[in-house]
Amino acid sequence: MNIGVCAKISPHADARIKIKSDGSGVDTKGEKLVVGDYDEYAVEEAIRTKEAHKGAVTAFTVGATSDEKLVRSGALALGVDKAVLISDDAAVNAGPLGTAKLLAAAIKEAGCEIVFTGKAATDDGNSQVSAMIAELLGWAQVSQVTKFAIEGTSFTATRAMDAGVLQIVSGSLPVVITCEDGLNDPRYPKLPDIMKAKRKPLSKIGAGDLGLADVAATSSESNFAPPPPRPASRIIEGDAASAAQELVRLLREEAKVI
Amino acid sequence: MAYDELFNPTEEHRMLREMVADFTANEVEPQAAEFDAKGVLNVPLFRQLGELGLLGITVPEEDGGAGLDAVAAVIVHHELSKSDPGFCLAYLAHSMLFVNNFAQSANAEQKARVLPKVISGEWIGGMGMTEPGAGTDVIGMTTTAVLDGEHYVMNGTKTYITNGCEGFCFLVYAKVDGRITTFLVDRDCPGFTTSHHIDKLGMRGSTMSELIFEDCRVPVANVIGEVGGGLTHMMRNLELERLTLAAMSVGIADRCVEIMVRHGQERVAFGTPINRFGQIQRYIADGYAATEAAKCLTYNVAKDVGPHNRNRIGSDAAKLFAAPVGKNVADWAMQVMGGSGYCREYPVERLWRDAKLLEIGGGTLESHQKNLTKDLSRLAPVT
Repeated sequence: MNIGVCAKISPHADARIKIKSDGSGVDTKGEKLVVGDYDEYAVEEAIRTKEAHKGAVTAFTVGATSDEKLVRSGALALGVDKAVLISDDAAVNAGPLGTAKLLAAAIKEAGCEIVFTGKAATDDGNSQVSAMIAELLGWAQVSQVTKFAIEGTSFTATRAMDAGVLQIVSGSLPVVITCEDGLNDPRYPKLPDIMKAKRKPLSKIGAGDLGLADVAATSSESNFAPPPPRPASRIIEGDAASAAQELVRLLREEAKVI
Repeated sequence: MAYDELFNPTEEHRMLREMVADFTANEVEPQAAEFDAKGVLNVPLFRQLGELGLLGITVPEEDGGAGLDAVAAVIVHHELSKSDPGFCLAYLAHSMLFVNNFAQSANAEQKARVLPKVISGEWIGGMGMTEPGAGTDVIGMTTTAVLDGEHYVMNGTKTYITNGCEGFCFLVYAKVDGRITTFLVDRDCPGFTTSHHIDKLGMRGSTMSELIFEDCRVPVANVIGEVGGGLTHMMRNLELERLTLAAMSVGIADRCVEIMVRHGQERVAFGTPINRFGQIQRYIADGYAATEAAKCLTYNVAKDVGPHNRNRIGSDAAKLFAAPVGKNVADWAMQVMGGSGYCREYPVERLWRDAKLLEIGGGTLESHQKNLTKDLSRLAPVT
């Protein structure tokens, strides 16, 4: 089986987010960068699918040239077989649609039958690219998947819907599977796989190599600002009954949430 | 940048560090206090080290290991010891004292028989050198082995042996006609038993016992290398042992600095965070500086320790310097935390107890001073 996985390099979930001084975006300089949290589930599921059904996994990343070592540590060292890093200036400046066009073209060229993606990037959290890839390829997509299985050319995926409701979706390959927290427990890289990661093929290409001329973002982002500081906590004194009464009064009259 | 090249000389080293750091934070840290209190090794967790490929880290790839160097071994000990030095000591006794030594000195048949099982973690290993009457004075050991047909008959006792309780196989040094020889002794050898668990102050995530040989029959096929080759095996392996013990002290010190820095910001006294007080600043700053110095020395020496490099001066110096740093910085962290640092609710008192062992095990501070003086004098003889 020819399996694909999209892995975006983003600041670590524990990173302290700093806004650039001109408010034009987030300053990631000096921050630890990794394959995003949800994309980790996608990488793990892609590898598990390979282990269950044989074949090979290709990772696709749109990002900076310097992302190479992070793709090696966050995908190839875990058991992904090869990687495609789309990293020219056009790719770096692509918006969600441009990114989806680049990834869809690379996935098509690689001949993948199934692609795993994370439900959202850890940094911008747009949740747009997976659906766009499916649309551009003309494939089905199942989002927020918490359980997944393939039999032959058919798949069964469980979706986590609101209020704890689960939806089971069946269909045929090809498909884009968008991975949710809880789908699997991502592995640690094993030392022998770390040693192999450097020797695994990673091709760096640009938009032109995929025959795409215009992938520039169609929207722009500006005026980034940190959230307002959280107000100081208040401790309600008194016995349980009167404290509860006071809490309810404050929630209703001051916070206006009930 | 030079700083990073010293600690992570290649991308593989960096990936190894990230993997061990993640594993330590997610899997090792949560169990450390529990197994310290129980005083036993977490065997299932230990076997996970095998699944990750860490148990044969220095074994050549052709023998089924990772083929990595002393820097890689230092990285693993450094990172594991930030959370659980006791658990790390079991790793050291297995991977450095048994597996590394065995892989360097055993023949092809012995390697094929034993390495897959110890690299996977199916068998836990250890090493027996110290005796009730011979510690630093290792040449004074009294355990003997006498040839009797296809077996050697071994008599004697080894003590303070890490992994003694859980271990299946041990490298044991014994004298054959007065010559120190290395033997592979396992639980299938008749006459080999281990004592009760020897309780101890720290490093309680690993166990310690005596190895007792009473007319123990060890097959001739279990002699490692040549009869009389034991001293060479022992000395060659002691360098990596001391270096990785130094790395454990660095891990303890690193963690304690982190704890001090955080606590100094969070704890308020007299209306101000305590890190505004000069007395606290001294612990934090001196602790950091000493830790960085120990770290740099340890990693710098690691570049020159390997199967084909002898660097006793470096490994003795690294452990002589790093072990008191680990102990002192843990002590300072406890002082900064005050009463909370003394309580079992926080990891500092455990690290403080663990740190002391590193001034004793694998060579006392005094043995390092003896070796260094001897080796340095030999390098600069007075003519």
